[in-house]
Amino acid sequence: MKPTRLHGSQKTRIFGLIAVLALFALAAPMPAMAKPDANLTAQQIVQRANYSSYYSGKDGRSKVKMTITDSQGRERRRELTILRLNSVVGPEAGKGSDQKYLVVFHRPADVRGMVFLVWKRAKGDDDRWLYLPALDLVKRIAAGDERTSFAGSDFFYEDVSGRGLQEDEHKRLPDEDGLYVIENTPKKPGSVEFASYKVWIDPETFIPMKGQYLDRSGKVYRTMEVQAVETIQGNPTVTKSKIADVGRGTTTILEFTGVKYDVGLPDKIFSERYLRRPPRKYLR
Amino acid sequence: MRATFLSDWSADHPWLTVVLSVIITALMVSFIPRIKIDTDPENMLDKSEPIRVFHQQSKKRFSAYDRVLVAVVNDDDPDGVWNPDTLARVHKLVKKIERMEGVRPVNIVAASTVDDIEQVSEGTVRFRWLMAEPPKTREAARHIRDRALANPMLAGTVVSLDKKAMTMYVAIEGKEYGHSVATGIKKVIAELAGPEKYYITGLPVAEDTFGVEMFEQMAVTAPLAGLVVFLLMLFFFRRFGMVVAPMLVAMMSIGWAMGLLIGTGFTVHIMSSMIPIFLMPIAVVDSIHVLSVMFDRLRHGEERKAALAATYEELFWPMLYTSLTSGAGFASLILTPIPPVQVYGGFVAFGIAAAWFLTMTFLPAYVMLLPQKGLQRLAASTDSEGEVDHGRIARWLERLGPWTVRRSRLLVAGTVLVAIISAVGISMIRINDNPTRWFHAGHPIRVAEKVLNERLSGSYLAYLVLEAKNLDADGAYLSELETRLTEWSKKLEDGADEFQASGQEALALVKKAFPEAANSENPREAVLLQAMSALEDKLYEVDDDQGTAMEEVLRWLGDEAGKTKPWSDPAALRRLEKLQRQIEKLDGVGKALAITDVVRKVYQELRGGDPKHSVIPPTSSAVEQSLLTFQSSHHPEWLDHYVTPDRRAINVWVMLRSGDNIDVTRIVGQVEKLLDEEPFPMPVQRKWAGLSYLNVVWQARMVGGMVWSLLGSFVVVFFMMVLLFRSFWWGFLTMVPLTLTIALIYGIIGIVGKDYDMPVAVLSSLTLGLSVDFAIHFLERIRSVYAEVGDFNRAIEEMFREPARAISRNVIVIAIGFVPLLAATLVPYQTVGFFLLAIMLISGVATLMILPALLAVFGEKLLEKAEVTHSTYRNES
Repeated sequence: MKPTRLHGSQKTRIFGLIAVLALFALAAPMPAMAKPDANLTAQQIVQRANYSSYYSGKDGRSKVKMTITDSQGRERRRELTILRLNSVVGPEAGKGSDQKYLVVFHRPADVRGMVFLVWKRAKGDDDRWLYLPALDLVKRIAAGDERTSFAGSDFFYEDVSGRGLQEDEHKRLPDEDGLYVIENTPKKPGSVEFASYKVWIDPETFIPMKGQYLDRSGKVYRTMEVQAVETIQGNPTVTKSKIADVGRGTTTILEFTGVKYDVGLPDKIFSERYLRRPPRKYLR
Repeated sequence: MRATFLSDWSADHPWLTVVLSVIITALMVSFIPRIKIDTDPENMLDKSEPIRVFHQQSKKRFSAYDRVLVAVVNDDDPDGVWNPDTLARVHKLVKKIERMEGVRPVNIVAASTVDDIEQVSEGTVRFRWLMAEPPKTREAARHIRDRALANPMLAGTVVSLDKKAMTMYVAIEGKEYGHSVATGIKKVIAELAGPEKYYITGLPVAEDTFGVEMFEQMAVTAPLAGLVVFLLMLFFFRRFGMVVAPMLVAMMSIGWAMGLLIGTGFTVHIMSSMIPIFLMPIAVVDSIHVLSVMFDRLRHGEERKAALAATYEELFWPMLYTSLTSGAGFASLILTPIPPVQVYGGFVAFGIAAAWFLTMTFLPAYVMLLPQKGLQRLAASTDSEGEVDHGRIARWLERLGPWTVRRSRLLVAGTVLVAIISAVGISMIRINDNPTRWFHAGHPIRVAEKVLNERLSGSYLAYLVLEAKNLDADGAYLSELETRLTEWSKKLEDGADEFQASGQEALALVKKAFPEAANSENPREAVLLQAMSALEDKLYEVDDDQGTAMEEVLRWLGDEAGKTKPWSDPAALRRLEKLQRQIEKLDGVGKALAITDVVRKVYQELRGGDPKHSVIPPTSSAVEQSLLTFQSSHHPEWLDHYVTPDRRAINVWVMLRSGDNIDVTRIVGQVEKLLDEEPFPMPVQRKWAGLSYLNVVWQARMVGGMVWSLLGSFVVVFFMMVLLFRSFWWGFLTMVPLTLTIALIYGIIGIVGKDYDMPVAVLSSLTLGLSVDFAIHFLERIRSVYAEVGDFNRAIEEMFREPARAISRNVIVIAIGFVPLLAATLVPYQTVGFFLLAIMLISGVATLMILPALLAVFGEKLLEKAEVTHSTYRNES
């Protein structure tokens, strides 16, 4: 499909990474463009967007092709599989609930088998593990800054697992081009590199189609846009998204294939034990 | 047509000549406001020079932005700058710098912008900012310091090895922001008002500051020198009307030369900024000559026009030749392969031509337009030789003449001795340049540089770019793979059968991939990747045990794929690391930073933090996985500073404590030798870039170029002299004082140990041009005097009246006139001041003492044979 006009999500969630996994509870048929509902509050909108970006279905799986292009036009490609398991199923999950993520690298060939495991907690710090097959080493990553690069891309860790709704103040601005516009301002400005960010949310799918991050001097230094959305198993699903870092001159495009919801992922595979041998049958 | 038709025509049409001169001058001067100052040392090489192209390409390839360096020192605190108060201020400073126009916030390297990987507990690491917030306690501050010291990328740079100081590297979008960013930083520092000391330097700052100071020198020092010359002439000639004309000629020719230079779109470089200073003496000297002779005639009652005509008749040839020889010296610089030197040489030559032309046209017109009364007064007020009596100097000169003849043999012997000493001095010359040293030693930039070079890893930078080739996937590689696979599978104990089977399968797939992959950019990698994909497809069809075996084989293939990327190979990285340590031991090197430092730091922390793990990991996949871990940081793109994404080329940042070309040349040579002695495991092409290296390149060219240009102009001047005097021996004689002058000046430079740098090299042409003047005038004159009086001793006596006084007057005017240059803040200006002084003194003395002595010993016969050729100098008294 033609790249739809973007929406961004709340901060990071823009990332297709999560969005891919997300099954939409809304599962609304795409064609009829819904009109923005003037009665929805900012809080209601971000919750539904959070849900459609990160929490669709009971679980989800997607293969991801990541293309990082630097300021000189040089490309780096990575391939990975993301598995996601929800603890809460249904729209309520969008308020923020625990989740588990398993990210398995396939390419470049020499990082094949590298795995990230994330236990995302609605309250308290996430748990993260990293497995490095070449060193046969599992490392726990202590909670720290989540706004660090995900595998050298322009996506942040936080973009993968979602930014807590309670971390920002949300304000609904006048709609633009039939999209909800939400302005998000961090409650703890010192902990993040942005001063605020704006997202444009599709009123039909609640997918954040476009996002803009502003630095302290009010300049846009980072943008997100969704370039393709498909309905999969009734869930509007981002299948292509792009983040551009204006300051660095880099862009990252994520393409999602083989997206499947309600795979039936067992909880046990999201454990330290499975890092060394991620279950092949779910990675296909 | 008469040789003097120009001056005749101008004398006939004085108003038209003056109006035309003024119009041309106004036109030329109107270009001057468009002036573009160029202080970029890179421009010493043409933009298309391969080395410069490579330098630019390397900068881009490795994201090496121009940087403003800020060193922070606090010697009052026991912990240096690593205390909570200082760190709070420094933290604030960086935050403010990040928001400055032209700064690249993502590329600032400072304590608060870099990452740390920290051990939290057994098996747990934390990635975070080294200093996200300023520390609250001394202990926390020291902890930050120690974490930085434990990072090979930061030790010696962000934190000094003496644990007291720090550096911030502020990357900027382009050099043009250097000045504003440095100014902005200074402003913030002033507001912060801590006890710390800040030292700001870096090439962009130096360039900008240099540009500003150059402008000041041009606007202040040069006009000041002009004023002093003017006042001195006024002192000698006492008459404003007499002195103003040479000044006008000088200023107009300067206006023409600078106007044309700027108008034709050239930028003003350090050397061309001194064009006015070079043109002033040359232009002034000729006009004074004309006026002296001319007033002399007027005083003898000649009519104005006739006196002018006769004066030009007499002086035309010597003036033409002195202009031609001076011009030739400068024009020869066009042959040097350094664009700013070419521009400089070309436009000084043009200015000399302009000065000659104006002396031929404007000057006679000026004389014609002087009111009759004023003219008479001027003529009358000057003494018999067109000047006021010198008193002591004049009497001393009159005694000097006969003395040179009496002591001629002694003088000739002395000349030989001076020549020998000069030769020894020249052999001691040290060729060396460092554009930073163009600032005087007390300049803030030099002070900042000293701090960086003594306490941190240095302020100079050279890049060693090592590029490897992707290797072919051929039969030999296939059998190599087969052997390695067999060896590897032997090492596995469990499930050997499955491994064997998977291994064989993989090998079959590799073989199948060969023909197709052979033509890709990295054929070996392509073969392996294709085989891996094929094997992965089968992965989902097999049972668990078989699958596990396949996974292992896939990992092995992945590691092999890693090895096809040259700079993922642990063997290559180990050699690189050894090379870095070898380089760091070289005198003048502060640090050699490379991809190995990233790899071993991450590997060490992943392995638990023990310093014994600060090594290159054993396999290429371990290297790549460490690098991917590094990229999960705030600055994934910083990897680009060290290695290209395809791992084919790396950049070693060689930080130098000295930017002297002599040191850089030595270090480059030593590194090359180290690489020859112990090469990398794969074929590697090595190339240098970085500004410190570019300086070495243009210096080498300059030295070679200058030798040829000096020799070339020497030969040209010699032939001109032979032509002028229609005699080989007279030509030879003319060359003696100037040769001795050049030899002695460069001999002194060698003996006192002043480096032979760009300004010194370029000044050889000035020396040649100016010192030949005296000899031409002296020899021309003595030939005509001798022709009249027919006796050598009497001729010498005559020569040591007016002609000798004219020469010594020029010596005094120009030597003293340019003394203000010695007080200039830019060293090249001081050098020029010294040269002008030395050229005038030495060539004056050489002409007045050596030429008569030589003539007395060898030359009387020459004089007898000499026919007076062009000029008709008259003997007045």
